[in-house]
Amino acid sequence: MSVAGAIWGTYAFYHSPWWTRIGFAPDQPVLFSHRHHAGELRIDCRYCHSSVDRAAFAGLPATQTCLSCHSQIFTDTAMLRPVVASLRENRPMAWRSVTRLPNFVFFDHSIHIARGVACASCHGDVAHLALEEKLQKLDMRMCLTCHRHASAYGVTADHLLNCSTCHR
Amino acid sequence: MTDRRDEFSPDASSPPLEMERREFLRLAGATAALAGLAGCSRQPKALRPYVVPPDGWIPGAKTFYATAMPWEGFGRGILVETHEGRPTKIEGNPRHRDSGGSTDAITQASIRDLYDPDRSAAPVRQGTVASWADFSQDWLPRWERLRAAQGDGWGIVIEPTTSPTLRRLIGEWSKAFPKARWYQHTALARYDRAGTQEDYRFAAADVVLAIGSDFLLNHPAALRYTREFAQRRKIDQGRLNANRLYVIESAWTVTGGMADERLVLAPSRFEPVLRAISDGLNGRDDFASLGETERDFAAKVIADLRRVRGTGLCLAGPEQSASVRTWTELANRLLASEGRTVISGAAMRGDGDAGCAGGLAELTAALNAVQVRQVCILGANPVYTSPNGSEFREALAKAEYSVHFGQYLDETGEGCQWHLPESHYLEAWGDLRGYDGTLLMQQPLIEPLRQGKSAIEMMHWLTTGLAAEGYDIVRGGYSVDEETWREWLNAGVASGSGGLSRGGARGPHALFDIESGTAKHESGSIELVIRAEPYLRDGRYANNAWLQELPRPFTSLVWDNALWVSPEMAQREKLATGDVLRLTVKNRSVEAPVVVVNGTADGCAIAELGGGRRRADGSGKGGGFDAFALRGESETERWLGRAAWERTGRSMPLVQIQTEMETEDRHPIWQFAAADTEHLQPREDPAISLFPTPPPGSPAAASAPVHHRWAMLIDLSSCTGCSACVAACQAENNTPSVGKDQCGRGRHMHWIRVDRYWTDGGTRSAPQPVPCMQCEKAPCELVCPVGATVHSSEGLNEMVYNRCVGTRYCSNNCPYKVRRFNFFDFRAPRESPLHLQENPAVTVRARGVMEKCSYCVQRIDEARIASEREHRPLRDGELRTACQQACPAEAIVFGDLSDPNSAVLRRKRERTHYALLAELNTHPRTTYLARMVNPSV
Repeated sequence: MSVAGAIWGTYAFYHSPWWTRIGFAPDQPVLFSHRHHAGELRIDCRYCHSSVDRAAFAGLPATQTCLSCHSQIFTDTAMLRPVVASLRENRPMAWRSVTRLPNFVFFDHSIHIARGVACASCHGDVAHLALEEKLQKLDMRMCLTCHRHASAYGVTADHLLNCSTCHR
Repeated sequence: MTDRRDEFSPDASSPPLEMERREFLRLAGATAALAGLAGCSRQPKALRPYVVPPDGWIPGAKTFYATAMPWEGFGRGILVETHEGRPTKIEGNPRHRDSGGSTDAITQASIRDLYDPDRSAAPVRQGTVASWADFSQDWLPRWERLRAAQGDGWGIVIEPTTSPTLRRLIGEWSKAFPKARWYQHTALARYDRAGTQEDYRFAAADVVLAIGSDFLLNHPAALRYTREFAQRRKIDQGRLNANRLYVIESAWTVTGGMADERLVLAPSRFEPVLRAISDGLNGRDDFASLGETERDFAAKVIADLRRVRGTGLCLAGPEQSASVRTWTELANRLLASEGRTVISGAAMRGDGDAGCAGGLAELTAALNAVQVRQVCILGANPVYTSPNGSEFREALAKAEYSVHFGQYLDETGEGCQWHLPESHYLEAWGDLRGYDGTLLMQQPLIEPLRQGKSAIEMMHWLTTGLAAEGYDIVRGGYSVDEETWREWLNAGVASGSGGLSRGGARGPHALFDIESGTAKHESGSIELVIRAEPYLRDGRYANNAWLQELPRPFTSLVWDNALWVSPEMAQREKLATGDVLRLTVKNRSVEAPVVVVNGTADGCAIAELGGGRRRADGSGKGGGFDAFALRGESETERWLGRAAWERTGRSMPLVQIQTEMETEDRHPIWQFAAADTEHLQPREDPAISLFPTPPPGSPAAASAPVHHRWAMLIDLSSCTGCSACVAACQAENNTPSVGKDQCGRGRHMHWIRVDRYWTDGGTRSAPQPVPCMQCEKAPCELVCPVGATVHSSEGLNEMVYNRCVGTRYCSNNCPYKVRRFNFFDFRAPRESPLHLQENPAVTVRARGVMEKCSYCVQRIDEARIASEREHRPLRDGELRTACQQACPAEAIVFGDLSDPNSAVLRRKRERTHYALLAELNTHPRTTYLARMVNPSV
């Protein structure tokens, strides 16, 4: 009984949102809304995550990127104050990451974009989030589900199931 | 379990840096104070983008910048890979002829020095840490007085350099302080003679006679020479245009290892043999004074050189006596090879500068005579590198004021009142000239990590009393427009420079006139040959653990230098490797362990400089013996001498990575004679594969998915065994250094090793680089209980670290013994700056996992992604492994067997192609081309 309980407990723990971080919105330096920017204003993801189609890392917007619009609009709102302060003090914004890539996994955003994998396929529909949170569990099963059925993206390459594709 | 991290004191004194490796890569901008450590914390990590990003910057992408590395004062063009402003790897600059895109082991390892925690971090006054402001306060009043006295009593010591800016600054300083004197000191060879230097064209040379010269490793232009020489050793589509190399030397060098005919001689026997050869070239065969082997050798050389005339080449190492070097000049003139295989031009390095007041001997005299009272030593370490260090140190102590400026607080820094930190070459602006005369631009890759200044900035400050930025000083010397300047920086090479100008006709030389030596086997006395350590040079790289742990050619010694003696002497005197001898020259004596090396001249002992550092931190401390004490003062006594020796009765453990160099009839090396090229029978069909791939061109192939079939070919004919590949692999793949103790237990971690075997009864030797063979039928995979080593669809034998539980079955079952196991946690401590060097594309392995060559799978992935992103196929040659890219001989070819036009497939179709241990049916993807030798018939 207690063994079964321990197994259930472990299972429940590793699938609990506390462990998977799904649904948690960490505190951010600015109350930034993807719903407003990506959803309502329909700004392309790549405007801010500018290296997503060119490099492994998607990139976070530099303070300068925020201010390319916000030097014109909502310049002196309280919400925007940390961004303005960042520029004035030449101090980078400290965003809290929502997803975590373990050190033994080598993921490249650009090739996924090039092959037509949408951002939302992994990150979920962030365009509806007022505050950024993790929507899906990004585990190896999820990676393999796609890599096993890569033909859906017109990719016919067995190499996608090689260990060294992600681990090296 | 002991914490083995304590063993690596190089890292122990590092300043705490709150940085994590991958973190650092991903996070933009502000590098310091990254919060959030991995592990148990549930607090998400902070990501800090730039406030204003640099133009054209892509986060996470690597960028290459061109700069130049100083190699004994000569420049070598390099490209440095950086990640977010953090240099991680050095490659050769293809635009510089002396590099041609390749590098050597020292260049590869120099990236580690940048992050060395033991590098001097602050000015030190009499052993107490001070600041630059303290120094400036202390120095400037003195400098004012010196200026008033026109520099009377001021001396500067500097290493000879090719840098136009530095040489200009020295000139300006001499003008500002006319009574001051400057001295040049180098412990190593001078490459100039009477204002000229010789350059060789190995591509054009059919017969080469090298006399005590290691031009393939121990030369500023060694990379170019290796490339050109190797071109003449390669079989290409069944054809061979082989050159022939004759070598006269006293002990094996990398060059001697490539010899077709090699004569082992004590230095005292060089001259009779050379005299016989020159007589023979003049048509007077007189071999009376020669022994049998000497006579055979001389006759072959004479016949060959007479046959080829102008495409013959005679060269002597810069360490050889003036008469030997004169002999080569005369011989080349006789052959009419001057201008064809030998070009002489103006000396690039400032050794012969007329304004220079001399070397260390002159300085010592001036110090003792109180003519020099204030002395500034820039970059050099004369207390260690002078034959009589203690004498110089005493002289130095007489100086009223002494300043040492260098990267390490070394023996000289300790002996001076002030020690000032010098920046690493990757942190400084500058300019250098290659041996070929090319003007190279040196630009910093990173702000100084310590408080270092460059030699150029220091010299400017000493001249003007004003601090200036290195950039302004260097830029000020060039009147080119901004566009040209930027072009130069971008290319690393100034356009239109280079190419040695032909020197004027040389004056008549005195004819060869020396008394013939006779080999003496006096008991208790031996002829000494002193030479630079192949990787530590004059000891300046002693703190570099990668270089310390790089097995030395022929001895495969690590972490120590030792005195080479011949097997005959060892037998006669009952010496064994590790026995410690006491050598005495004049009144100085040194205790040195012995290593017995086949092919060493009997009655000779070879001492390599660079060991036995007294004042070095971390990995440099203690290893080996100090051969400087065996040196004489004069130019010839620097390299040759005679020492009395006696036993101490002690012995010390020396670690040799390869202990058996006999092949025992197993033939890991297939060797063939150039004359037999036409009659060779192929051994291996490269097209046979166990992988179900339809033959190229067939209808099935057109519809089948493209499978790359990665494969490597190593051409043993051109491999010199210089170990550049080993160092390049270590830099690329985050391979740890493990220390002498672990090496002694066979736990070194190099993914590629260079084996060396004696061939032809020990008269020749052949190196053989052995990376993972990537067997198609890999024995390691069958025995792994957890599936941690598996085969990929492209034929890679993959190692999955996070599956590995460390049973080591795979290593036991590997017939090539190329798997390496992390017996301990060999990583640097978390806060060590050494982590900044690590390649972010490769996992840093923890304790208890197996690792091995991956064919640089990170480079495969990167190139594949780049090609797929651009919707084009991978081009042959676009993807190079780290070892391949570094190799100066271009002996390593990597590519795709599925590509019918790939270079690797073309090379594998040669008749000399063979696989190592093919009889085991492992079907290795890494195969070899047989070793070509071209003996004289």
